[in-house]
Amino acid sequence: MTVDELLEHGFEAVSLPDGSREIDGVYIGDLLSWVMGRAQMDNAWITIMTNVNTIAVASLTDTSCVILAEGVEMESDLVETARQKEVNILSSSKPIYETAVQLSQLLA
Amino acid sequence: MKELSLNILDVAENSVKAGASLTQILLTEEGSVLKLEIVDDGCGMSEDVVRSVVDPFYTTRTTRKVGMGIPLLKLACEQTGGELTISSVTQEANPAEHGTHVTATFHTDHIDFTPIGDVSSSVLTLIQGHPDTDFLFVHRTSKGTVELDTRELREILEDVPLNSYDVMSWIGGYLQEQYEELS
Repeated sequence: MTVDELLEHGFEAVSLPDGSREIDGVYIGDLLSWVMGRAQMDNAWITIMTNVNTIAVASLTDTSCVILAEGVEMESDLVETARQKEVNILSSSKPIYETAVQLSQLLA
Repeated sequence: MKELSLNILDVAENSVKAGASLTQILLTEEGSVLKLEIVDDGCGMSEDVVRSVVDPFYTTRTTRKVGMGIPLLKLACEQTGGELTISSVTQEANPAEHGTHVTATFHTDHIDFTPIGDVSSSVLTLIQGHPDTDFLFVHRTSKGTVELDTRELREILEDVPLNSYDVMSWIGGYLQEQYEELS
């Protein structure tokens, strides 16, 4: 499944420089240094952290997209940074667990 | 980082890379405020560089495009309501007195405060990896102070390398003893 395809399932695009990226697995975490060493390339990464370091960690780990759960919003200047750094960011109004369950079903 | 001690290690490594001959790691606990200072006499940074090191997309490393040491320390203190400041004087600006001073304050009673963790291990790791540069570690608490100054050790030990097994285990025990006295 690609990042673009998630848009058909209630996820909203925050920054989508490369929606054609394939999603392979999911990682969940908010402690950025922890995520940095554990998220795998092409994972969709579910988090509620919305500072500039989130974008940096996504770029470092080369996740296919960040999914901001619980309806948290990212400031507009950070959205611009994400576009510049070619980091895909989507948002979901659902809580983290429900977001993960939905992804699990979609990726099955 | 699950522990501030890992943050400390990361930032102190930057000091060593900046050519510091002495790197000071100062932890001061006063009430519910913890102040962390990392002070070095390395080559210093220009104003532009100081501004950019808090940006995770800035790094002096060539192997990757993101440097997370300072950005994560800034995040860790700001999420407790504290702040991070950096002042620096370059070697060109002042050949006699140059270096960088990083100060991070934390409110330890905030629920998002990251525990200090095993800072003795961080100090040992630094000495192990850089036996030819000096470190001053001072941890002040309401119950007393833990201190280690490698310049004093060097004077006594003369030619014995600081990262030899016996010296390292002595330092480990020395720090542990001081911490035990506090509790």
